[in-house]
Amino acid sequence: LCSVSIAVEGMTCGSCVQSIEQRIGSLPGVIDIKVSLEQENATVIFDPSQQSPESLSEAIEDMGFESSLSE
Amino acid sequence: MCLQQKHEFEVAMTCEGCSGAVSRVLSKLAGVSFEIDLPKKLVWIESDKDVEVLMETLKKCGKEVKYNGTK
Ligand SMILES: [Cu+2]
Ligand SMILES: [Cu+2]
Repeated sequence: LCSVSIAVEGMTCGSCVQSIEQRIGSLPGVIDIKVSLEQENATVIFDPSQQSPESLSEAIEDMGFESSLSE
Repeated sequence: MCLQQKHEFEVAMTCEGCSGAVSRVLSKLAGVSFEIDLPKKLVWIESDKDVEVLMETLKKCGKEVKYNGTK
């Protein structure tokens, strides 16, 4: 399993956080996701055979939030 | 040139983060123009695309979406 921290911009409240956690958390290969509104990022634990930092970041973009890989 | 229909959708948006996300996913679709009323939770879309396509796009934001018909 891998862990990645992804920068997420455009969230303003807990409901934004929740919708990202729900939708990204239900993707195949995503084991765990924690989204922080204050730090504007998402920490995702995933199975590298099914997801990659790029695919996860793209999925967040697809929801209408700005997202980028920090490292 | 086909006449474009105006579709009304109810999207469970609660803040500017939600409406910002909705506006960003819609902007990525070519050939749509739209209006968002956050307090009323309504989105009007003018497009010749299928309602299904618009619905799927709106659902990407992770909010509940209801179709109210054409206006
Ligand atoms: Cu929000
Ligand atoms: Cu919101």
